[in-house]
Amino acid sequence: MDHTTRRRLLRGASVAGLAGLAGCSGLVGGAAENTAGAAAGQIGSGRSPFGDRTIEGGTSMAEMPAMSGELTVYSGRGEPLVGEFVSFLEERYDDLTLRVRYNSAAELVNQLETEGSESPADAFFSVNAGSLGAVAEQGRTVELPEDVVELVPGEFSSPDDDWVGTSGRARSVPFNTESLSEADVPEDIFAFPDTEAFRGAIGCAPTYSSFQAFVTAMRVLNGEDRTREWLNAMLDLGLDTSYSDEFLVSQAVADGELDAGFANHYYIQRVLAGRPDAPVATAFTRNDAGAIFNVAGAAALDTAADGDLAANFVRHLLSAEAQDYFARETFEYPLVPEVEPIGRLPSVDELSPPEGLDLTELSDIEGTVELLRDVGAL
Amino acid sequence: MATRSRRGGEEDGFGVAATVTSGVVAALLLVPVAYLVAQAASVGLGASVAILTRPDTVQVLVNSVALVTVVTAASVAVGVPLAYLTVRTDLPYRRATTILVSLPLVVPSYIGAFAFVAAFGPRGALLRLLAPLGVERLPEIYGFGGAALVLALYTYPYVYITTRAALRALDARLVDAARTLGEGPVSAFRRVTWPRVRPAVAAGSLLVALYALADFGTPAIMQFDAFTRVIYVDFTAFRQNRAALLSLQLLAATLLILGLESMVRNDDPVYAGAGSRSGDRVRLGPWRWPAFVGALAVPVLALGVPLGVLLTWFVRESATAGGTLATGPGVVLNSVSVAAAAALVAVLVGVPVAYASATRDSRLAGLFERVSYLGYAVPGVVLGLALVYLGVNALGPVYPTIALLVVAYVVRFLPQAVGSVRAAVLQVDPALPEAARTLGRSSVGAFRSVTLPLVAPGVAGGAALVFLTTMKELPATLLLRPAGFSTLVTRVWTAHSDGYFGAAVVPALVLLVVSGLSMLVIISREGYDVR
Repeated sequence: MDHTTRRRLLRGASVAGLAGLAGCSGLVGGAAENTAGAAAGQIGSGRSPFGDRTIEGGTSMAEMPAMSGELTVYSGRGEPLVGEFVSFLEERYDDLTLRVRYNSAAELVNQLETEGSESPADAFFSVNAGSLGAVAEQGRTVELPEDVVELVPGEFSSPDDDWVGTSGRARSVPFNTESLSEADVPEDIFAFPDTEAFRGAIGCAPTYSSFQAFVTAMRVLNGEDRTREWLNAMLDLGLDTSYSDEFLVSQAVADGELDAGFANHYYIQRVLAGRPDAPVATAFTRNDAGAIFNVAGAAALDTAADGDLAANFVRHLLSAEAQDYFARETFEYPLVPEVEPIGRLPSVDELSPPEGLDLTELSDIEGTVELLRDVGAL
Repeated sequence: MATRSRRGGEEDGFGVAATVTSGVVAALLLVPVAYLVAQAASVGLGASVAILTRPDTVQVLVNSVALVTVVTAASVAVGVPLAYLTVRTDLPYRRATTILVSLPLVVPSYIGAFAFVAAFGPRGALLRLLAPLGVERLPEIYGFGGAALVLALYTYPYVYITTRAALRALDARLVDAARTLGEGPVSAFRRVTWPRVRPAVAAGSLLVALYALADFGTPAIMQFDAFTRVIYVDFTAFRQNRAALLSLQLLAATLLILGLESMVRNDDPVYAGAGSRSGDRVRLGPWRWPAFVGALAVPVLALGVPLGVLLTWFVRESATAGGTLATGPGVVLNSVSVAAAAALVAVLVGVPVAYASATRDSRLAGLFERVSYLGYAVPGVVLGLALVYLGVNALGPVYPTIALLVVAYVVRFLPQAVGSVRAAVLQVDPALPEAARTLGRSSVGAFRSVTLPLVAPGVAGGAALVFLTTMKELPATLLLRPAGFSTLVTRVWTAHSDGYFGAAVVPALVLLVVSGLSMLVIISREGYDVR
């Protein structure tokens, strides 16, 4: 990546702000014509139809200490999401070599545990809070510097500063704008079973990990019995459990096959990225399991050869450039509040995830799978 | 039929060397098992007993046994006739058919399972396609049926390849003689051919059975409660020691299968002779083309479904295809070179193990051969983590390197080479190398000039098996590959697991094409002497 590209990254118009506004007011359109603005070679180009934008807030990499040396990163986030950013860093810093080992987050946790104090890993980049919590529990993380953790609001890092969130995904309710309006979607997840508008027209992907995390959250927040009641009532309402992933749920809503569904917020944006005029929009519940907000995040490890470099890598994941990159690549929420999400989405402050929920508790899916089988959703 | 009177003793230096070699190999293979035992020990005795005897665990073990039985039977039912058709008859396009029929082996079964769910699932592509014709329901793909179907479709090539090697080594003149003496084709098969290929069928079946027992992905995706699902749950909940304990129970089941197979495999030798290719092929007559279509139906289903599904994903997601996932020649070269290295090492190590166990009446040699199956029967993730431990603590500088990765492949896939070679060695009449000894050859010389050429098809078959399965190996590759090292199948996995299904199409296609070409090379070489 050359200097022009980097400049292009920092240049732009306030298009995303407009797109964000359009999302909030439920207006459709205005986004598609910006597709042409996405320039080849730019970080994140090609997948976002929302085009270039200026990054006005946040902390630029230019204000962060330079990186040099060799760093081994265990990444539970896939190469399609991270690879380009890794190259970007390596090209920015001549003396930096990043060795990234990609695998699923759960396997990397097991690998870190097996390797123990001999691990070649310096930093861990994970797709969810549960895996980060597991590594922290093994005592393998080191406290991150204050200036790193301070880049995101307190709720997005662990209480002991073992790890910090780098991007977020919200549970959401995709709805078909031709059959429902936003007002038809209740703000309380427990009002869903009584919503006749959903009868026979709401669907989910029960084998999908994020749906299971949502049910797990309900079990943690509201107890096993209430969760079972809710599931049974939803099945009585005709909840369609035949989808294999939430992209398909979102597609089905956009196609009018369903009127509403359960999905991570970014799947709706991915549908819209392919079909900007699709009649699908996003609703959120408030302060309940239906509104959980999970984070991808990173930690510096106790086996790091150069602890400062490992922490500085985590710091760079919170740079304005990185935050913008994640928003672009995955339509996830940037966690640095000054960087806006991309897509027709409310800002992170406008979401109301449940209070007092420890995200690391969501790794306990075994009981959830049993419950789902028991009620006949699986 | 002659009883088994193989020459052992001091004059057979090569046999002794082979036994010693296989002992060393067996000892090395036991190291990961020892690690599992150590891990499992930390669970504690009381908790262990509770975990191993809870009704849930017992039930899933029973489920697994049922799955293994059906998958193995189906693989024999498909693999043996296909081998017979492509070797012994005048089926059209035999070489191309051979390659196609072998290829399902390179499809990682979890990809196959995902594809079958996507195609045949409740909202699958196939139902959408058939809906205008009034089809409203397809047979249930989830559960036992789906898991068995997918596993059988991607493992029958084990039986096919080992049986094919045995049929090729068979002296076709024996069959001709039987036919001359008035036996019908069916009777000739039963009385002449079958006894000679039975060890090979058994070897292939064993590979199928153990694969079905240890496979992680397929039962999970098919929502079938197999034993591995329980292990998987412990892994994702970061309870490695419990996963190790359950893996040991899986190994116990493996030992049971190995013991059963030892009892039924019946090594009474029926010697093949010179492996002549001069015999007449069976003429299929009017059945020639129907047989051809029938033979193609199986690989077309096994390969067509995943390719079709990947292509629909490709079309559906072309707007969001993962642009950073290039599948360059470097990735292809990585896949082919580690697979070739693993095949070579597995054959080098596997020939002595197979030879010793097939030619010597020693219990020890037989035991060493059985031990070679342990690495294969441990789920790949479990074995991978055991090697991670070993690599980090004992082999510092080689961890993580490609060399250790090749070791992992050999530990996992050695029995594929051993089984195939052993079946071939059993067909060699010991009188032949003995004659060579009488004529003044050393034992090594007799092996090289007489035995090896006769077992060459078995060696090639074993190499092909190791090569193809290494091409698709995923769990150990992900754990042990050095940073930045990608293979075709890790490319498929990466694209698929991040939801960029479209980006999985190119590496998946390249995987099939490259594997097909490699098969072509193996097939075109196997006719020659290997001296």
